[in-house]
Amino acid sequence: MAMTATAQPQPNAVLDTILRAVGWIGLASIAVAVSLSDFLASVPADTANAGPLLAPPSEMFRLGTDILGRDMLSETLHGLSATVRAALPAMLVALIAGALFGFVAARLPRVLAFSLRGVIGILSAVPSLLLAILMIGLTSRGWSGLAAGLAAAPLAFVRAFERAEAQERTSHSEYARAAGISAMTLLRRDLVYEFTQTILSGAARSLAAVTIILSTVSFLGFAAEPPHRDLGLMIAAAKGYFLDAWWTAAFPALALTLLILFARLAAGLGEGERA
Amino acid sequence: MSDERKPILELRELSVTRGGVVELDKLSCKLDRGETLIVLGDDRSGKDALLRLLGGFAERTDAIGGTIKLGAGEEQAASRKMRSPIRIVYLPGTERPPLNPHASTASQLARVVARRHEAPRESGREELRLALERLPGTPPFDALDRKPGVSSAVVLTWGLLAAALAQSPDLLIADHAFAGLTPAENKAVVAALQAEQKRIGFALLYAARGLQTAAHIRGRVIVLRHGRVIEEGDFDKLAGGQSHAYTRTLFKALAKPGDALPARTMRGEPLLQVHGLDFRPPGDKGPKPRDGLTFELRRGAALALIGEEGSGRRTLMRALLGLEPFTSGRVVLDQVDMSILSAAMTARLRRRIAFITGQDDALDPRMSLWDTVDEPLRAHLGLSRDMVAGHRDTALKRVGLASYDGATVVATLSRFDKRRLQVARAIVSAPFLAVIDEPLRGLDAFAQSIMKELLDDLRKQEGPAFLIVTADVGVAQALAEDAMFFKDGKVVERGALREILKNPRDEETRHLIEAALGEILL
Repeated sequence: MAMTATAQPQPNAVLDTILRAVGWIGLASIAVAVSLSDFLASVPADTANAGPLLAPPSEMFRLGTDILGRDMLSETLHGLSATVRAALPAMLVALIAGALFGFVAARLPRVLAFSLRGVIGILSAVPSLLLAILMIGLTSRGWSGLAAGLAAAPLAFVRAFERAEAQERTSHSEYARAAGISAMTLLRRDLVYEFTQTILSGAARSLAAVTIILSTVSFLGFAAEPPHRDLGLMIAAAKGYFLDAWWTAAFPALALTLLILFARLAAGLGEGERA
Repeated sequence: MSDERKPILELRELSVTRGGVVELDKLSCKLDRGETLIVLGDDRSGKDALLRLLGGFAERTDAIGGTIKLGAGEEQAASRKMRSPIRIVYLPGTERPPLNPHASTASQLARVVARRHEAPRESGREELRLALERLPGTPPFDALDRKPGVSSAVVLTWGLLAAALAQSPDLLIADHAFAGLTPAENKAVVAALQAEQKRIGFALLYAARGLQTAAHIRGRVIVLRHGRVIEEGDFDKLAGGQSHAYTRTLFKALAKPGDALPARTMRGEPLLQVHGLDFRPPGDKGPKPRDGLTFELRRGAALALIGEEGSGRRTLMRALLGLEPFTSGRVVLDQVDMSILSAAMTARLRRRIAFITGQDDALDPRMSLWDTVDEPLRAHLGLSRDMVAGHRDTALKRVGLASYDGATVVATLSRFDKRRLQVARAIVSAPFLAVIDEPLRGLDAFAQSIMKELLDDLRKQEGPAFLIVTADVGVAQALAEDAMFFKDGKVVERGALREILKNPRDEETRHLIEAALGEILL
């Protein structure tokens, strides 16, 4: 017995769910570590001479010490805290100026909507890092969070705009318009059913993006400055001696890697996007 | 016993249980070589379980009982993997064709034919081409070289049928194979199938939800409900009278000559006036017609725009509603010229237009059941929460969806439920015009009967004018008094539908009526 059939491949939804769960659990663990960083760290941030200079990891100093004798475990916790605290408002900026504005812009009058789409589409072609540096250069270091959020916004805007635009072309939108349903009501649909349902993954995606931008601009010296060292600045500080004292760069880099990886897993990004 | 009368399929006490639910309950029946059996029932009737078993794709979770005898083989216990001395071929429908959307239809069907004949793919392609050419009125073979997603339902149907026939079946199992076709297409495909059945002599088991195809096939019918046969007999005999209440409801959906609505005695005020409209179908680069279309639809009246796919009826409907631009002419809705209104004012006027369509994606699949009904009330009238709930509950009760959880997402609803939800949304809109586009498409006969009643109730209670777009004269005569028949972007006949049905003047009109209502009338 035969049938004229070919099997359709099914996406591996189970693996996707597991990876998302791992991402959120990881982010939750980081949130706990950040909120308890002052308690978990043995010394306050930027405390020099807590131990010998450039001591390797040992029982006393689990992650070793840096060139000024600062405890790397405490410094990494404080650095992680500084990174996350800077990234959270930047993430909100990216969500509002990117995803939310993208959904709203798609429902604006056609000419205005596609003009905005065109301008922001061009901006999205510029690397986010360069945009952030440009904006910091035009303002000041104190605005680095806003700059990072705005720099990450174009891609989020384009993604949200495309989603809303795809909805605009559907039969149900066409029928709704033909029955006098206004653009505002259709926007409400997008916000209720698209934005709110994707807000968590959008937030995680934006968190990963702004963390990379903020850490990199700090590494380059455009954002955080002592004594408020974030992970990017810690890695930059280790540039001179990390070949001899690997732990001074490796542990801040590991913390940064985990933060970004968990955020990307939580966002449900595909393998290509995670790469 | 002659070879023709030899049984090809004998089922004895066949049962299929899945997840503790008895889908098929001790079904016994026999099908002879060259004979046709129509299995009629809704989605939970058990016919899908029967097809699954005979088609060879029963699942591990199916608990199967009873025996089956195929051709001259031994009687064997029914199971997922049965020995078959006969050639059983499964013919799927086009609603969800089991084809890869990324490869051409011809290459996929040729592979199936080649595999069946254990021949190279090129031979399979040649067999497929020959089978298609044997069928009268088929599209050229090149039409199958496109991907399934861009082919029309009728082209896909011809392709699937040709692939099935190219496999030289002893038993052809058709799974709602022609459900997505218009009556005229349906009639042509059934005629071709029956000619091949006569030539090859295969037995045909046709599973049907609706009666349209069954009315053309006109074989022996068994009516299944909850896995049991509740009635059986020759189609014509059953159409003449049914003993079971469920069968009676099913056959109420069957369009019959003489069912046309009488002309309205009351003439309301004009609601929709069309003057000299040039509504040529998309892509029509022909010369501009000398005169456009002029007609009017009065308040409370019902006008059916009837024609085959591509005849221009849907283009006209879209032009009337401003969904497609038109080059010349005027559309006056509720005494307001639509062309001079701003977009905001047009939207305001359109609030009292309701849509009920056969398209499954006409409702936002993300919305909940309650939100779908509430939206017009909230968006247009700004009613209080309590008043919205009151209107919504009344509407849902009228369409039979009141018992559903209000948070149920539209995407999870059945086709029939979505269709009823469209009616509920129309009810709360208090429309002056309801645009109804193939409202019964894809529904089973039971659901078709209910939908007709709901639309009738909508018209009686809310009193909107109906503008019906359909290829099925049977649907038109159930809902409209007046009709315009379309062909190639032109109106070929118009007037009171009842009169046209009695005396069609145009060949196209005659063809459409004959396809939907049979030859009794003519």
